Amino acid sequence: MKLIFEKSHPGREGYSLPADGFEEIPLDRCIPEELRGKKRELVEVSEVEVVRHYTRLSKLNYGIEDGLYPLGSCTMKYNPKVGEYLAGLERFVHAHPFSPPELVQGTLELIYELGELLGRITGMEAYTLAPAAGAHGELAGVLIIRKYFEDRGEERTRMLVPDSAHGTNPASSAMAGYRVVELKSNDQGTIDLGELEKAMDSGTAGLMLTNPNTAGMFDPRIDRIAEIVHGRGGLLYYDGANLNATLGILRPGDCGFDVVHLNLHKTFGTPHGGGGPGAGPVGVKEFLRPYLPSPVVEFDGEKYRLRDPGEKSIGMIRSFVANFSVLVKAYAWILSLGPGGLREAAEAAVVNANYLLAKLKDYYRPSYGGFCAHECVLTGRDFKKHGIKTLDIAKRLMDYGYHPPTIYFPHFKPYAEETLMVEPPESEGREVIDDFIAAMIKIAAEAEKDPDLLLEAPGATPIRRTDDVLAVRRPVLHYDDELKLKEEG
Amino acid sequence: MRFIPNTAPIRREMLEAIGVSDFEELIAAIPGGVRFRGELEIPGPLSESELLERVSALASRNRDLAGFKPLVGAGAYRHFVSRVVSALLSREEFYTAYTPYQPELSQGTLQAVFEYQSFLARLTGMEVVIPSIYDGASAAAEAVLMALRLSKKNRVLVSAALHPHYRSTIETYTAPHRTELVEIPCSGGLTDRARLEEALGEETAAVVVQSPNFFGAVESVDELAAPARDHPALFIQAVAESLSLGLLRAPGEMGVDILAGEAQSLGMELNFGGPYNGYLGARKKYLRQLPGRIVGETEDRDGKRCFVMTARAREQDIRREKATSCICTNHGLHILASAIHLALLGTEGLYRTALVNTRAAHYLEEKLVGTGKFERVFDCPFFNEFTLRSLAPMDEVRKKLLDGGFIPPLGLGSYLGEEELAGTALFAVTEIFSRADLDRVTELLGK
Repeated sequence: MKLIFEKSHPGREGYSLPADGFEEIPLDRCIPEELRGKKRELVEVSEVEVVRHYTRLSKLNYGIEDGLYPLGSCTMKYNPKVGEYLAGLERFVHAHPFSPPELVQGTLELIYELGELLGRITGMEAYTLAPAAGAHGELAGVLIIRKYFEDRGEERTRMLVPDSAHGTNPASSAMAGYRVVELKSNDQGTIDLGELEKAMDSGTAGLMLTNPNTAGMFDPRIDRIAEIVHGRGGLLYYDGANLNATLGILRPGDCGFDVVHLNLHKTFGTPHGGGGPGAGPVGVKEFLRPYLPSPVVEFDGEKYRLRDPGEKSIGMIRSFVANFSVLVKAYAWILSLGPGGLREAAEAAVVNANYLLAKLKDYYRPSYGGFCAHECVLTGRDFKKHGIKTLDIAKRLMDYGYHPPTIYFPHFKPYAEETLMVEPPESEGREVIDDFIAAMIKIAAEAEKDPDLLLEAPGATPIRRTDDVLAVRRPVLHYDDELKLKEEG
Repeated sequence: MRFIPNTAPIRREMLEAIGVSDFEELIAAIPGGVRFRGELEIPGPLSESELLERVSALASRNRDLAGFKPLVGAGAYRHFVSRVVSALLSREEFYTAYTPYQPELSQGTLQAVFEYQSFLARLTGMEVVIPSIYDGASAAAEAVLMALRLSKKNRVLVSAALHPHYRSTIETYTAPHRTELVEIPCSGGLTDRARLEEALGEETAAVVVQSPNFFGAVESVDELAAPARDHPALFIQAVAESLSLGLLRAPGEMGVDILAGEAQSLGMELNFGGPYNGYLGARKKYLRQLPGRIVGETEDRDGKRCFVMTARAREQDIRREKATSCICTNHGLHILASAIHLALLGTEGLYRTALVNTRAAHYLEEKLVGTGKFERVFDCPFFNEFTLRSLAPMDEVRKKLLDGGFIPPLGLGSYLGEEELAGTALFAVTEIFSRADLDRVTELLGK
């Protein structure tokens, strides 16, 4: 499809401004010439062309409302329309972050209340809603741990991270100044207690754990893990990426976790936006409350206001307060479900994933045996003999009208190879899952009999497979790069 | 529950197909001692109509903010955003999609990001643009971390006129690395060049200057970048009001090595401070040290032009603890918001909107000074924000404006806790103010 730049025509305009431009004020009196730049050449297109351009672009995308989007560990559930509406209420939308608090009591109350709700759902005692995304929450959470030990005068320089963790865990720990020690998973895909015993020492700050983990497994020894970490003076961090499986069933706060981050755009029904914005609230136990980032919302029984949490706070991690419009949607989602609905959501997600696992395990040998949580990790390792990789299976799924599952993650030997991590969230009904299962079984047969169908896939999408090597070797990162390339022939 | 299609009977059949008699069997691995047994103490379930009522009631505890035009900016600006932006953003193909890891199903998102990178490259004059970091403050902090990696030094000079949130975020991000942050004072509202030169030393990794700065003043960026370049230290410019780029010199032409910007002014509503969208600009040779995602052009198997996420060997999912940042989910949908906003404005619209902003701001500033109730604090050029000292108590100014339906300017004395700024206020004026609005402000405050 043409770029917007290729649709530009001199003199066309897509904007309108009030007639009064205060033109009597000479520009030189505002900004002296030496500080002014040349007019930036963008595009010249009319409003209707802009609308058509981006509408057509949208049709090249695949969204949750187009069909199953079973990306493992991403929890691509339905995003209720009512949330979008409520986040757009004018009194919310036009709230300036430096408004006097008496103008924005409703906004502050919603932030405060959501923190309370999340506390009850996860068993944590204090929340910050500042983090802009899951990884941002991780960074804040690990910085809280760091500051806590610093205050206690304890020199702990290492952080334990299982090999099954999301890449954000080691990356956040490193950003927070920790040396990352990777823990090898056992043959069940969970924490090897012996490894943990060895690694968890007085120089180690703690363990970052996702539970259920990315292999889709509940860690059966979570009680013992907490004992070991706390016994050596460490703190236990909960990565909430997979919280969806546990709503109303298991609360991280009850399992001994000291710091928790949540992904409102996964568990709590807010949209992923093609890459965000989401929100990554962080919950802590009472003893870590003073370390929360600034500002926090405070309620004195009458009025809400923003407050700096004081000396011990890790400081600000962003400008202003929070990703407010995302918070509105999560708040609406929680209240729509209520306590029973949250539990029903978790159970339905777990049943969906186990149903899919039961029906597909004979075709795509799973990484591990036993039941899974809200996602299952299948593999394409048995198709190697036909020259087929998991990537080919994923691309073929597109021809059947599906977004593929997460592939090649988790990725560690010897169990998690050629992985397909499938997560059918609670908003998917059985028929949808049955159709997906049928497509997967058909692809398994194609892989044996007619592997070219997979190797040539996808064919039914707006474009075919891309040359990612060319993109790196010949970086064209904006339109002027492309123009230059054309000039050079 | 209306978001969960599987009924109890369907669920029973599914459990049967799995080969278990009840749900509990599936989660038998969870130790009983840590299980949650009660009912969560949260309200609900609410019907959609009850929910609408409840959340609307919360919203109505805010004042009618659509009618309150803000005379405050300080990093968040109320500009006009066309309904076109919200209408297009509400297409499910855009807002419900995931990060575009599968390019065959994400060309819409990927091309829009490429177009945004193209707009921003022209707007900023920078060779490479990272289209989304969470916001301007975190972008500034990432820029500093990047400078530490590039220079392998650990001292950073920060202008006193940097937005305090940006400054605090930089402090938070650099705390684990024990980076020495040195404040360069201001003189007359602008970063003091002589003091900057004095402070530059062998150990200096980078210099951070915001322009227009927190007080609204436009810095002579090239004159501040020159001594940094000679040293050499990396020069980082922060931009909180990106509309100013429609009129001011491009950072890329002034010796800026890394640009950390906030794109809120380019198509995003206020939303009490977020979500907005940060961006980074840099020289191409620094690409490998940049954090965050970037989109590049390539070809598909049929030789057709298409777009993919590229230069991925910097990111957390591949590099884990060696990644340039932990950032994963960013503010992608707002990349699209800005792309649409900039496409609508186009070459002329962007320039003219920037012009109206600076002219309207100067109109009010002159009017307020003309009342005799306000004095200029600094004598320097400004874009759409300016600092004045009120001769009347700030509480009185605030009250008059609130009663008149305006959100008051930011009182710098109490906000920054600096005595010499007592009684000063940071005003912002954008294209949403008509001449009548500004005359009304003058009338309210001139009495």
